[in-house]
Amino acid sequence: MRPPASDVDPKTAELWDRHQHQHDVISTRTLGYFLYLLSDAMLFATLFAAYGVLSYQHSYFGGPTPADFVKPWYTFAQTMALFLSVLAYGFGMNALKNKNKGGVINGLLSAFILGALFLALDIHDMAHLASLGVSVATSGGVSAFVVLTQVHATHIFFGLIWILVMMAQVMTKGFTTEVVGRLLTLRMFWHLQAIIWVFVYVFVYLWGYMS
Amino acid sequence: MSHGHDDPTLHPEVQMSTSRGYFLGFAISSVLMLVATFLVTSHSMPPFGLLMVISACAAIAIIAQIYFLLHIDTSEHNIWNAVALVLFMPLFLITIGLTWWMFSQLYLHTMIMPGMPAMVH
Amino acid sequence: MLVDLAGGWNPLVGRLAWSQIPYDNPILAPLFVAVVLGALMLLGLITYYGKWTYLWREWLTTVDHKKLGIMYIIIGLVMLFRGFIDGLMIRTQQAWAVGSQSSGVFGALHGYLTPFHFGQIYSAHGLIMILLAATPLLVGFMNIIVPIQIGARDMAYPYLNALGLWLTAAAGALIMISLFIGDFAHNGWFGYAPIFELQYSPGVGVDYWMWTLQLVALGTTLGGINILSTIIKMRAPGMTWGRLPIFVWASLSANVIALTSFPALQVALALVAADRYLGAHFFTAGLGGNLMLYTNLFWIWGHPEVYFVILPAFGMMSEIFPTFSEKPLFGYVTMVLASIAIAGVSWLVWLHHFFTMGAGPYVNSAFSVATMLVGIPTGVKVFNWAFTMYRGRLTFNAAMLWAIGALFLLLIGGLTGMMLAIPAINYMVHNSVFVVAHFHSMLMVIVYAIFASVIYWFPKVFGFKLDEFWAKTMFWLFSAGTALVFVPMYMLGFMGMTRRLDYVFNTAWQPYLLVMELGIVVYMFSVFAFFALLYVSIRDHAKNRVGADAWGTSRSLEWITHSPVPFYNFAVVPQINARDEAAWRRENGLEHIQPDHYDDIHMPNNTGVAIILGGLSFTLGFALTWRIWWLCLLSLIAIIALVIYRSFKGDPGYILTAAELEKMEQEAIRRASRIDGGHHLRPVRGDGWAQERADLPAAGTLYGLSSPMDHHK
Repeated sequence: MRPPASDVDPKTAELWDRHQHQHDVISTRTLGYFLYLLSDAMLFATLFAAYGVLSYQHSYFGGPTPADFVKPWYTFAQTMALFLSVLAYGFGMNALKNKNKGGVINGLLSAFILGALFLALDIHDMAHLASLGVSVATSGGVSAFVVLTQVHATHIFFGLIWILVMMAQVMTKGFTTEVVGRLLTLRMFWHLQAIIWVFVYVFVYLWGYMS
Repeated sequence: MSHGHDDPTLHPEVQMSTSRGYFLGFAISSVLMLVATFLVTSHSMPPFGLLMVISACAAIAIIAQIYFLLHIDTSEHNIWNAVALVLFMPLFLITIGLTWWMFSQLYLHTMIMPGMPAMVH
Repeated sequence: MLVDLAGGWNPLVGRLAWSQIPYDNPILAPLFVAVVLGALMLLGLITYYGKWTYLWREWLTTVDHKKLGIMYIIIGLVMLFRGFIDGLMIRTQQAWAVGSQSSGVFGALHGYLTPFHFGQIYSAHGLIMILLAATPLLVGFMNIIVPIQIGARDMAYPYLNALGLWLTAAAGALIMISLFIGDFAHNGWFGYAPIFELQYSPGVGVDYWMWTLQLVALGTTLGGINILSTIIKMRAPGMTWGRLPIFVWASLSANVIALTSFPALQVALALVAADRYLGAHFFTAGLGGNLMLYTNLFWIWGHPEVYFVILPAFGMMSEIFPTFSEKPLFGYVTMVLASIAIAGVSWLVWLHHFFTMGAGPYVNSAFSVATMLVGIPTGVKVFNWAFTMYRGRLTFNAAMLWAIGALFLLLIGGLTGMMLAIPAINYMVHNSVFVVAHFHSMLMVIVYAIFASVIYWFPKVFGFKLDEFWAKTMFWLFSAGTALVFVPMYMLGFMGMTRRLDYVFNTAWQPYLLVMELGIVVYMFSVFAFFALLYVSIRDHAKNRVGADAWGTSRSLEWITHSPVPFYNFAVVPQINARDEAAWRRENGLEHIQPDHYDDIHMPNNTGVAIILGGLSFTLGFALTWRIWWLCLLSLIAIIALVIYRSFKGDPGYILTAAELEKMEQEAIRRASRIDGGHHLRPVRGDGWAQERADLPAAGTLYGLSSPMDHHK
């Protein structure tokens, strides 16, 4: 029987790792979290697929369509709130580079306030629509509109809780490996929300307003 | 390879942040969203052309954000993130594209819709 | 309340009422009594033997990937048994309720099950078999084997791993409790719009179905992330991509599918929830909803899921054939490429589940061609296995028999799949039992591969082999059952019998149905043979002990560490030199060389957080099902609070010192040398093994029962 192929000489081969090789804890954590985020993005892709199927004329069943109730400049204000929040978080991460605790806290706090502003504008918008009688139960098309935008808002809500938790951890624990790892994963989460929002804003709000 | 025991703030994924990068990502996507919003509200273009333009705005804004905010590039510390993203992209397109295609065909065969060629009797 | 509910609702207990307990059902009431008595007996036994602390410390709070894997497999086997009982009930009803003259009992006009009850049984059968039997069994094997095969001490995220397990367990508990409180969905395992809408299914069955699926989906996604990160980040030095064992490649491609496709399922079900709880109109028949959108979203996940369960099975077969052919796997590179190709193409074929939707010739032909493409990489795999066996020194032990059985079933299932890929044929046999027979052939490939793996890897995990006689008896009984059930089913499909009939109008089909009933009885005997297998093997475990290389011809890395595998997997991480490391070391006479010194190693602590989160998720699922809003809110807040608590607490882990490690290693080496007779004696292969080693002293311990794990109290 032919021995298994290997270019290593068995007489001199190392059989055990002598170097106590350490795994990079932070990179392992960010990779896993990025994979989770991609599966989260797939969740949005599926919602977009559903939205596309349910945004035909007949999907609104003669009822209101996004062209009737979307206010582009209002939602543009939301967009700016979210983008600025992401920018503030980015500046916070830049402060982390220099171990500037105050800078990180300021960045997180600004990101939180702007994120909360985004959420408040969204809730106000939804409440306004409800007062006009436009809700998830209006028609298939409006169901798709409301669920897609509110799933994004739910992500923002959980992101805000997470930002608060991280502020507390930075203050109480300082920059430990775990805290830094979490700040990096939260950065990816928060930035991904901005990326998803570009799609939501352009293809749900603006395109809905056009058609 | 022992970042676990070093100062975590020296980790390359922390060190790759730059204010300039974040600001550029923010500025590019904000300007593009402003342009898209302006074009849509001013009704200055035919719908199909407008759709193409705002789609292009969205695409560039996404690329800028992925590059400047998520730091997805081919450097050693981001390569697996980049590989994962590249593997996922076609699946996003397949999920959305094939679904839209099959239902547009289904509606074509089963629904009577304005603006569509009449069914063959 | 956002939607109008039939029946009562009150703020305290939601829709729960005494009338929801089916105490007057002649089948469920005795079962309930039996389950309660069984549970009391089990709890009594644990208390009597004082095993609560042991159970909590060693199993329920563990983050050891092997123990978690064992628990996944136990859940899978229990659910496989439950699914089998459902299958037995379905077969019996169809063999009985044939023709207008057939008798009826227990309130049924024909047979012994009312149509509503029958609907719940086939829905539960499908859901359980795919998501709570096949999936946990495969995830369990991936959990146990993948880290050892790549030379890692644990998964990338041990705590997340425990969380995935307990979410799966919560899902299993939710579907089990639907037997005794309320009812289960009657819309088939994958559901149809609009029958699952509140208007047509006003009960809680659909809600149980939906939340069970959501919990499994979440658990499996988390597990998938963990296995992917483990493979990418935790490989031992020298374990290059070209040296990765083929089962690891299969797990990698399978988990890419899991990670990408499960979100589609979660969205599909969340939209059903929006319809049922908020009154949305995604899948309603009116107000702009689209019925087929549900089917589309479900199968975007559903078809990749099929490959998620079959790829690990292919990986298992690829490990077993070379070991018992004493040859390296034929065509390693093509095998890897085929796995990746299957994972890729699996994303392009989902419409073949609903060719009859009527999307037209362009759409149907595109998906038909894509479906047929799957046959190419699968064919490559079949030929590779055949060439691996060709001119090999074959050992027909039980594991090999199961693997060969899987190969035959793959051939049958694959060829009928090619038939179904042709839309013209598909239109003729759509929703017939021909389709049912086809996908059972494919899923049987998985079951065969799983039993092959149970036999193959059992000695690695527990340190002793399973009894060959009973394993082979079980194999032949199971195979006879498979032939007797599914050959007539294919024939009935061609005769036009549709699936899910609670009453069979055509008496000409009765002979076939009776043969199938006979087949399921034979299956039942194979289940008895499995119990006998476990009993006999555990009784005789002392004489069936094995050393590190249990089969003497095994090839991949897991066979160089001790059997049973110590909780730290490898005292010193191995340096990998070849593709089939264990075989390479054996061929070069290096298999007995141990590390010359040990270093301290860092291990994660056990945690009770994962099981509590599992319990809270179960509570959340139950409260959502019964619309007990305060309990929903409470469990949701508790989940968030616990996650935050864990995040603050963190896990510093503990250090296993070099001295402790060395002591345990010496003990393990001593135990192994007693089995090897103190010489470099190769274990003898085949049936003679157990008898020849009968003179050995009963040394060592059964896995976990007295393993040295008390240093992290």
